[in-house]
Amino acid sequence: MSDLALGFAEALRLLGRGDAELWSIILRTLAVSGVATILAMAAGIPLGYALARSSFRGRTALLALVNSAMGLPPVVIGLIVWVLLTRSGPLGGLELIYTRRAMIVAQFLIATPLVIGFTAASVQALPPQLPDLLASLGASRWRRLWILSREAKLGLLAAVMAGFGAIVSEVGASMTVGGNLRGATRVLTTAIVTETSRGNIPVALALGLVLLLLAFLVNLVLTALQQRRAG
Amino acid sequence: MDVALEGVVVVRGGRTVLDVPSLGFPAGSTTAVFGPNGSGKTTLLRLVAGLERTSRGRVRIGALSPGPNGGSPPPTAIAFQEQVFVAGSVRRNLELALELRRVAPADRATRIAEAAAECGIEAVLDRPARQLSGGEAQRVNLARALALRAPVTLLDEPLSGIDRPSRAQLLDDLPRLLGTFATTTILVTHDREEAFRLARQLVVLVGGVVRAAGPAGAVFRAPPDRTVAELLGHTVLRSGAGLLAVPPGGLRLGHGQGNPTFTLEIERIVDMGNHPHLVGRVGDVRVDLRLDAGEVLPSPGEFVRVTAPAAVVLPRPD
Repeated sequence: MSDLALGFAEALRLLGRGDAELWSIILRTLAVSGVATILAMAAGIPLGYALARSSFRGRTALLALVNSAMGLPPVVIGLIVWVLLTRSGPLGGLELIYTRRAMIVAQFLIATPLVIGFTAASVQALPPQLPDLLASLGASRWRRLWILSREAKLGLLAAVMAGFGAIVSEVGASMTVGGNLRGATRVLTTAIVTETSRGNIPVALALGLVLLLLAFLVNLVLTALQQRRAG
Repeated sequence: MDVALEGVVVVRGGRTVLDVPSLGFPAGSTTAVFGPNGSGKTTLLRLVAGLERTSRGRVRIGALSPGPNGGSPPPTAIAFQEQVFVAGSVRRNLELALELRRVAPADRATRIAEAAAECGIEAVLDRPARQLSGGEAQRVNLARALALRAPVTLLDEPLSGIDRPSRAQLLDDLPRLLGTFATTTILVTHDREEAFRLARQLVVLVGGVVRAAGPAGAVFRAPPDRTVAELLGHTVLRSGAGLLAVPPGGLRLGHGQGNPTFTLEIERIVDMGNHPHLVGRVGDVRVDLRLDAGEVLPSPGEFVRVTAPAAVVLPRPD
């Protein structure tokens, strides 16, 4: 209990003092997970839409695969990415291992199945004749996608929240491919592990609280968008 | 604008669902495409709306093709059988349709007010479109298509899936609405009454093939074959070597002077309140014969003579 209280006090002190290292970790966390989320949306929303609207042999199997991938352990993804990107690995020449880009790649792979799965489910929940209606009214392909996205807004924003939530809070993949290098690839979750192993429990707790606050604020913005009434 | 199908073949999953060498819908006409379920009616409508592609041949609308024409809006407006709306109010749904058709913002309110007044949906304009009753939803569905005032209006089963009073009211209103908002109209229905009440022209589609086409009354009075005759409500009876099509209500009790006469085996007598009906069979064909009130009733099991003064001889199949 006293540790919790100490942690809380430490968090307020660090934040209030404008601790430079803390703020750089926060910004790095947001940047890495934010970019990974945006990339996952760019890939996952069209794929989820296509998967929901198409019919082909093996579609159910593919959906099942995506749904299973929604629960993949991040550390396994991290390991696979590490094997690919490590200096002697097949993509070692890219020299991405232990960089923020490597972390983005791993987090992208974790978030994308979540975005695909949630998108497919929300698009399938739309009236099936809606695309035909819009086409009959003469809406262009992009206009149709835009209107359909607006109609599926609840599910799509849930997809974004699930994706972002999964990667901002994961530690295994970031640790494995990022290496937790101070000032370069250390993010909130890996910093928490470091501080804990050093016995700096109040600092670790402070970082944990910051992480929770960060996740809450991002989700607050997304939820507000989601719940806004259609005009 | 007139609509024409030229050498149209539609194949889906290896099956020919539509095979129409030539079919025209004159400008300004109202045509009912009538046929049983699975006859290709909706495919035909979707083809004209630009929502389906032909496997061979083409659809022509005036000088245009279906679908958007080089950035300009499609020449057709379609009301689907399933009423489908975007989230939000009825007004928003109409607004979106007009907006997608590039109706100037200043004109949209006028168009909406006009369509709402004519279609009787003013009271629900600000209600969520997805929470309307079946009858209201169908009126909104029609209003959205009619408000576009497209050169060609397409209606897919405009009166299906709504309660009887709403249907009767709409059946009464639709000819006036089509007169106000629509020019060339093609409507699809599997209901004979709808086809005859709403349209002057009739196209009978069976198994993707046009079996009869022309003025509705003419098609009814001279059905080209047994299938069409039965679809239009005729009772087809064998007489000598040929087939006779007896229009609904065309059987009378008694001997006909020079008219074809049949033997009816009575199974039961149904009292419909104002009229008794004889139900039975002529040969292996089920027959329902309305009697006048006060006529002497035969008993079940009895054989009586019936005559069909208005029957038409069906052409012999080649």
